[in-house]
Amino acid sequence: MNYPTKGTQDPCLDIRNLSFTYQSWKKEKNSPVLAGLDLRLEHKSKTLLLAPFDRGKSTLARIISGLCPKYLPGALEGSVHICGKDLANTEPWELLLDCGYVSQNPQEQFVALSVEDEIAFPLEALGLTRVEIARRVDSALVNWGLDDLRTSSQQELSGGERKRVLLAVQQAIHPHFWVLDESFDDLDRSWREYLTTLIREGEGTTLVLASRYLEQFEDLFDQFALLDEGKIRFGEKAEILHSFSILCGDELPNPLNDQKILIQDEHTLVCSSLLTVRIRISTLEAKPFKLSVPSFTITSGDLVTLVGPNGSGKSTFSRLLCGLDEPKEGTFTLDGEEMNQRELNRSVGYLFQNPDLQIFLPTVREELSWSLKRRKDLNDRQVDAMVCECATLFGLDLEETPSTMSYPLRKALQAAVYYLLDRPFYILDELDNALTYSVALSIIALLRRNGAGILLITHDRKFARLVSETTYAIEAGILERA
Amino acid sequence: MEKNRNALKVAVVAVLTAVVVVFTMIVRIPTAKGYINLCDVAICFIAFTFGPWSAFIAAGLGTALADLFSGYAQWAPISFVVHGLEGLLVALIVRQKDSVTIPFVTKILAGIVCMATVSLGYFALSAIFISGVSVAAAEIPWNLLQSGVGVVLGLALAAAVKRAYPPVRSLAW
Amino acid sequence: MTTNTFVAGDGFLYRMDPRAKIMAMLLVCVFLFLGITLEGLYATVVLLILVGSVNTGIQHTGRTFKSILPMLIFMVLFMPFNVRGGESLISIGSFTLITREGALQAARLGGRFIGITYACTLLFATTPMTDVMLGLRWYRLPYKASLVVTLAFTYIPFIADSFIQITESHRLREGGDLEKKRSVFKRLKDLLPTLTSALVVALRSIPYLAMSLEQRGFGRKEKRTSYHSLDSYRHTFTDFLISFTIPIVLWLIFKA
Repeated sequence: MNYPTKGTQDPCLDIRNLSFTYQSWKKEKNSPVLAGLDLRLEHKSKTLLLAPFDRGKSTLARIISGLCPKYLPGALEGSVHICGKDLANTEPWELLLDCGYVSQNPQEQFVALSVEDEIAFPLEALGLTRVEIARRVDSALVNWGLDDLRTSSQQELSGGERKRVLLAVQQAIHPHFWVLDESFDDLDRSWREYLTTLIREGEGTTLVLASRYLEQFEDLFDQFALLDEGKIRFGEKAEILHSFSILCGDELPNPLNDQKILIQDEHTLVCSSLLTVRIRISTLEAKPFKLSVPSFTITSGDLVTLVGPNGSGKSTFSRLLCGLDEPKEGTFTLDGEEMNQRELNRSVGYLFQNPDLQIFLPTVREELSWSLKRRKDLNDRQVDAMVCECATLFGLDLEETPSTMSYPLRKALQAAVYYLLDRPFYILDELDNALTYSVALSIIALLRRNGAGILLITHDRKFARLVSETTYAIEAGILERA
Repeated sequence: MEKNRNALKVAVVAVLTAVVVVFTMIVRIPTAKGYINLCDVAICFIAFTFGPWSAFIAAGLGTALADLFSGYAQWAPISFVVHGLEGLLVALIVRQKDSVTIPFVTKILAGIVCMATVSLGYFALSAIFISGVSVAAAEIPWNLLQSGVGVVLGLALAAAVKRAYPPVRSLAW
Repeated sequence: MTTNTFVAGDGFLYRMDPRAKIMAMLLVCVFLFLGITLEGLYATVVLLILVGSVNTGIQHTGRTFKSILPMLIFMVLFMPFNVRGGESLISIGSFTLITREGALQAARLGGRFIGITYACTLLFATTPMTDVMLGLRWYRLPYKASLVVTLAFTYIPFIADSFIQITESHRLREGGDLEKKRSVFKRLKDLLPTLTSALVVALRSIPYLAMSLEQRGFGRKEKRTSYHSLDSYRHTFTDFLISFTIPIVLWLIFKA
């Protein structure tokens, strides 16, 4: 192909016939994530690319940002040009001023010990003078409300604060082209609005990748696109949004409605007059964190949601409920009998937000049988039968390697592990994070099948309404029925 | 075009160093007297999986940093040399062409070398610089035990991680 | 767990240029190994402890001493075996328990050990890690090496945190019956799944870290500049002069 090396006519981003398949670590080949994708973005355009979770959206961002196939190996065909530079023979650091990428998972992009060093790092690489670096660092900190957190390390930051730091880094570098993968997620309303203003008033080109349509997106973009089956399709806003909601399965019936469940023995878990106090390590907030729970009850077959903003104490309560932490005051009773921490450990299953913390074996089969094999009352044949049935139920392939499976499948595996443990109660922490509503709902339905009581934790009130009418909320350190 | 992988090298060594620090400081298994820490487990794992250079730097730097954070700065240089050498030697012994399983004899040899390096290395250096011959000699059995556990668990872990996370092969350099 | 070695304070050691402080620490350690009198050795140790108490506070000095106490006791207990020959100090019948030479050598080893401990601890307690790294860079430590150290610092809390969460999550998916007592061997074996998960989580982050470094310009041809500097330390020359003078003067006074 005859391609001009550099010139003003070059579009900001030009992707032609791009296909990508992740390298397989087994005998069978993986199926392609992107297949014959074309995308051309003119300078100064502002584009919203919608895609449900796990349909190649992040892979596309990773290819543009140079992570694939250099560090996550795979077969790439087709061409990608950014501002006229062919990515096949351009190193990521040469694109520092052309393209800035903010990833969906902020943890993975931190390279420095403190917030100010994080912003200074790329500026040092550009060889700017100390005065200029200090000027840009200061203004980025002020713009994103991070001045107080200047010397904090990323471990001390909340999810939203991490996103702000990464956006501040991009603002300080000031590249032409911004690729924002779910950057509005985790941000509070006011910061979402600040980001919208930046995009609207900015001179550069913006590509926003999102898996949910937010109200802040209104009137922000001049083109809309949908990523499906490895290809990108542009269209009218209304039409794209409609196809998108079908893709997400929003039209599908809610599996929880009229679900028939089988309750064998009914259990009731009650906790009363709970109080916990935690001293924050962060030096900024001298006040200790307090959570009190006057009364909370959950019975077999119940669906209960707990909502509240980030940092309000939802996880604190979950940790108490499953016996990982000890409360300062208060008691837990199961069917009238008081429970200690170890007994709670075995009555309440807690599905962590990050499924990788619970996965460690090389195949799904071994992962599912691990806990069962430690039970003395089951023989090998019974274990096999249970594992097979469970895998079919959750749509898992027994011979796959968990660590290289897609996120929804890893999440399903995590749920399947607990399903086999057959606990009377489950806590699902931010299940809807990085899953479509329909996938998340079907996981809940499966776990609930045998009559388990379920507490769902989420900060998305819309999702909470889909799940249940019984809602608890945390306000000003008190957990109460909303 | 041959891509420049300097960033990968830095990332590998940095993360592995952190792994060594965490294994040394967090995982402590109480025994009849005192604790066994798992720094040798981490070091052997790295040596078996990542090769001599990563093993040398991560092992040396990781244990030195762990000493520093635990308030034993004076031991840091000795740990750096002894554990760095341990990682380097074990990795050199087990190093081989792809996809050939390590022969049992090589594993035994690596184990012996690892235990010898740790116990003799600490003995020699602390006898000269810190505690004198007799105290240093009293530490030998303890170091033998800890590094012995390290080799066995390290080998098991290397095999487990290779199966649980196959892409680890693309990270070695 | 903590990766912090710095103890907040505003004594003179805090205002001393880190480059000079690193030099002073090295020279003091060398001095402790030279041929000096035992009185001189202990005079230096007392001086070091005094300097420490003035700068980092008595509490910190005490804590440091407590951390090396077991080792010191160990040294004293093993003293008899150190040196067999020489004049007998205490003996049971014909068996010599402690010789004069043995006692002297134990005293020297103990003193030296305390000295090195305080010299090293004081450097890291009075200098923020960024400044230690800047100082080492001035001594020609390559940028890549200092970057590895900084990155290791950022990843330690992340890995430690994942490790704790993994341990908890494994505890929650225990099948089987409650077992009270388990042998050391069984505990080690049970640890294997936890360690495997922790390693996989840590190793997974490597490609992303490499990517982020490159996207933040690691590898560019421009000469890298530095946001931080040691400019706020005003008396570099004087500090270096002190760093050299004190160990040399001590040596001149106390050499054997």
